[in-house]
Amino acid sequence: MPDPKILERLVEQVMREVRIRRAEFWALRGLFAGAVAAAVPLLFRESLGALAFVLAGALLVAGALAGGLWGFSRKVRPAEAARLADRGFGFQDRVATAIEWAERPDRTPLVDALLTDTVARVEARDGRRVVPRLLPREAKLVPLPLALGLVLALAPPIPLPTGGLPNFTAKSEEDETKPGDRGGKIESDERKAAARREPLPRADMQERTVSPRQGGGGSTQAGDLAAVFKDTSLGSKSPDFNAFLKKGDERIRMLEQVDRLPDLQRDFTQSQGKAMFQRAKELRGAMGGNQFSPDKMRELLNEMEKLGRKGGGQNPWSGEIGEGMEALEQGQNDKAMDAMERALNKLRSMEEKGRDGKGLRGGRESERRGAQRGNQRGQGQPGPGDEGDFPEGEGLFPGKGKSGNPKGDPTQRLRANPFDVGVEGQSRSGRKEGMDTNLLGKGANTPSRLQYLGVVGQYRKMMEEAIAREQVPRDYQSQVKQYFQSLDEK
Amino acid sequence: MAQSSQPSGTQEQRVETFVQAFRTLRAEMQKVIVGHDDVVNQVLVGLFAGGHVLLEGVPGLGKTLLIKTLSECLDLTFSRIQFTPDLMPGDIIGTNIIAEDAGGRKHFQFQRGPIFGHILLADEVNRATPKTQSALLEGMQEGNVTVSGTGHPLPSPFFVLATQNPIEMEGTYPLPEAQLDRFIFKLRVRYPVLEELTEIIDRTTRTREVEVQRVMTGPQVMAFRELVREVPLATHVRELASYIVLASHPQWDRAPEAARRFVRYGASPRGAQALVLGAKVRALSEGRYNVSVEDLRAMALPALRHRLILNFEGEAEGVDADTLIDQLVEAAEVLSTTGKDAFVR
Repeated sequence: MPDPKILERLVEQVMREVRIRRAEFWALRGLFAGAVAAAVPLLFRESLGALAFVLAGALLVAGALAGGLWGFSRKVRPAEAARLADRGFGFQDRVATAIEWAERPDRTPLVDALLTDTVARVEARDGRRVVPRLLPREAKLVPLPLALGLVLALAPPIPLPTGGLPNFTAKSEEDETKPGDRGGKIESDERKAAARREPLPRADMQERTVSPRQGGGGSTQAGDLAAVFKDTSLGSKSPDFNAFLKKGDERIRMLEQVDRLPDLQRDFTQSQGKAMFQRAKELRGAMGGNQFSPDKMRELLNEMEKLGRKGGGQNPWSGEIGEGMEALEQGQNDKAMDAMERALNKLRSMEEKGRDGKGLRGGRESERRGAQRGNQRGQGQPGPGDEGDFPEGEGLFPGKGKSGNPKGDPTQRLRANPFDVGVEGQSRSGRKEGMDTNLLGKGANTPSRLQYLGVVGQYRKMMEEAIAREQVPRDYQSQVKQYFQSLDEK
Repeated sequence: MAQSSQPSGTQEQRVETFVQAFRTLRAEMQKVIVGHDDVVNQVLVGLFAGGHVLLEGVPGLGKTLLIKTLSECLDLTFSRIQFTPDLMPGDIIGTNIIAEDAGGRKHFQFQRGPIFGHILLADEVNRATPKTQSALLEGMQEGNVTVSGTGHPLPSPFFVLATQNPIEMEGTYPLPEAQLDRFIFKLRVRYPVLEELTEIIDRTTRTREVEVQRVMTGPQVMAFRELVREVPLATHVRELASYIVLASHPQWDRAPEAARRFVRYGASPRGAQALVLGAKVRALSEGRYNVSVEDLRAMALPALRHRLILNFEGEAEGVDADTLIDQLVEAAEVLSTTGKDAFVR
């Protein structure tokens, strides 16, 4: 009967080999991790000094040792070692089978033969190691952190950034001794004020005290649109949050009506008339030399003609423009220039009229009303509230009389309901009342941005095209034509 | 255990006898069969494992000759059935006929069919109808046939060797899975290489015929079958066999991707039995007293290739069962931690 102890000794030997190989495997992994960690103290060598080398070496060794211990201490099962021995020595699973079946009670007669055969083969084996050495992936990368550590060790210490972040909270001595410029003074004043600021009370403990606003009781001018943005009602009232919300909502709605707001985009410093004056001045300066251009002169006259028409009504300097164009056609530049000068004088006088205080109200609303007045004046039929130029201190709206306020008082309608500003259902005096195109209702609150005569021509053209394309029924064509003719007559 | 049928002497002598008998039998067959060493080996493995073998190959490769040669080498009765579409089960099993005794009394007498032989050659087995094919089922599995309620035991050893042609499929009836599962191995007879073909020409075109000797008897075959079952099997080898079979099941939660993609049904437990028994015979034929992992690898293909039922994707892509089994074995080895790195991880 062969001695199965030989097989057990073989298995133990293989288990030791497995442990050693595992220790090597995990030691290499630990070495890699330790080498990476060792680079950190070497980076701070300037501050750590010689301790950096000690720490780096310790991390290197500790990593390798820890890995090796971990690998060596891992459990190895005898059955696995037996299979490894079979594979390593080419025993074709004899050792594993023999060890397993040697102890079994149901062993067959062949097991004895198996044991004998296996023991003989084990005794005849050579002394080679059967567990292959496996290298982890990190083994190839170990030289990198080692080389990095070597470079860091040999290179001069890396200077670390000194100083800290600026102190934004405490006042430094440098700030105190620094001669205070204006910005610094303002900043320091604000800082003092902030320091004196009392802490905010909690919201639930906050007492609502609304003091009446100064000057909110109606010191606004008549016709001043800014009045609608002023708080004219809260001053004399006790705090009422609902009323406050209501007012806020009304103002938001008001802000949504952009046409009611002052035209902040308008360039008051560069009016069209001013541009005309500048270009005429350039032309005048070029009269003596060779730079005078009849084309430029003609272009300027045309623009003045357009400007005159744009104002609505009859062109006040059409005669001068026509005279100047005729002189240009005849090559009489001086005469054309004289005619233009006369037209410019008229333009200048109109500009001066616009600066008499009423034109400063701004806003498209007043502009629109001014245009309406201009139309009425052009027809020679002053409107019910139009008394020519308003006396100083009088508002736009009639019936209010003179006021002590130099800017006039806001109208009652405006104060009561800022949306009810437009003229609703106003019948135009004249012979064709049925053709009144004033909008009623909601549309009246959003007056047109375009000048009336600026667009009526376009509509007429569209009408003619529509009739030409027979988009309008024949029975209505004459009626449509009459309608547009009536527009021209206004 | 049939001790009486064992060869006399120690276990080593028993095994040595088997090895010698195996080699002798193979050598006798190789007198006639040129090449096909693997096929001859695996036929003998199937014989000693106690199973039946299906040989598949195009006509003219020597399938029938191989089986006839085996029957001539064994001192056993031999039957040959040429399967045709009009073959009936009674033509295989036998039938009751009316016989008259000496007294003039008539009675039914069972007339044995060709299945009652030790070695049965079922030539072109897929040409018969499934009804006729299934006449073999009971005899192959249980060594017994039942006719009119009466059981008739088949002689022992009973060894069925069937052939089929994989190309000429017109007018054939592919064997049902239940029938296929009865075969321990399915062997593919490949075309001979140049040297083998030259040798075939030399041997078969001369006037002198090769004579083979009967080298083994039926009781010896049965004794060797008993010896085979005594071969010890280590736990990890047995587990590997189970993993290989389970890996062929796409429903298994650890089945490899190849099985999930291409397999409809995996191998049955008969596949595991065939795998282990074949491995035991192979180990013993090499003079070993134990089964190794290499034996399982070697026997995986013949034991499993006819037990995998491919799904539509597998058939559409023309997946080769042998390639698939190779992948399954590799996956099973990884699963059973017999991989090379398992001990150091």
